[in-house]
Amino acid sequence: MVPDQPPAADAPSEVADQVDERALAEAMRVVPLGAGVLAGLAVALLVIGYLLIYLLVFLPRGTVG
Amino acid sequence: MHERRILGTELLWAFGVGVLIAATLSMIVFTALTGDINPPSNVERLDPKTLHLSGEFAEQNLGTTVGADGSVTVRAIATQFMFVPHCIAVPRGRPVTLRFATPDVIHGLLITGTNVNTMVVPGFVAQVHTEFYRTGDLLMPCHEYCGLGHSEMWSTVQVLPDDQFKPGQDGRVSCAQR
Repeated sequence: MVPDQPPAADAPSEVADQVDERALAEAMRVVPLGAGVLAGLAVALLVIGYLLIYLLVFLPRGTVG
Repeated sequence: MHERRILGTELLWAFGVGVLIAATLSMIVFTALTGDINPPSNVERLDPKTLHLSGEFAEQNLGTTVGADGSVTVRAIATQFMFVPHCIAVPRGRPVTLRFATPDVIHGLLITGTNVNTMVVPGFVAQVHTEFYRTGDLLMPCHEYCGLGHSEMWSTVQVLPDDQFKPGQDGRVSCAQR
């Protein structure tokens, strides 16, 4: 039988975490760079796809207006 | 310190996106000016209730006409559920003006393998200037749902080489029989 857990309201508002501050600083130094690379890669793929369709499909289909 | 770096990254990203947008718009404007590639735009009204009685969209005027100056004009009607005429003859390598009208509901059309793509709205003439580069039969379906027979609404654009694109004495050209 599982013992009754104390209600959340009774929990202390702040609990000391076990995070190593140096490890946190290191992660915060690297993670934004990764996010930037990921976003840049996604946008680059989108732009390359657009350019390929524009140059290889749209323009050869000729004049219109 | 972190906030300054975040702000710097955001500004760098905004600059990159700005460059991309400027490059894309420049490319579109450049091809519009040098390659004559623009969205078709034509505001020309007509009465959809009487267009079949007289004027350029009367039955005897539909199809391909070569003017005295050599200009090629195609007139067609999009109606539930067919294009009239069902086959349109055009020359290869010459400027062509396509003009469409409808007496009933909104239709749309595209010609496969080309950039021709327009809506046909009751009360207006849809006009597209273009040029065809390859001979052959191109499918021209209705691409705007217009009713239960929409999927059966299509026509053929027959692109003919110069030696087969011969207007009659009245300046009209019909599709070659194959």
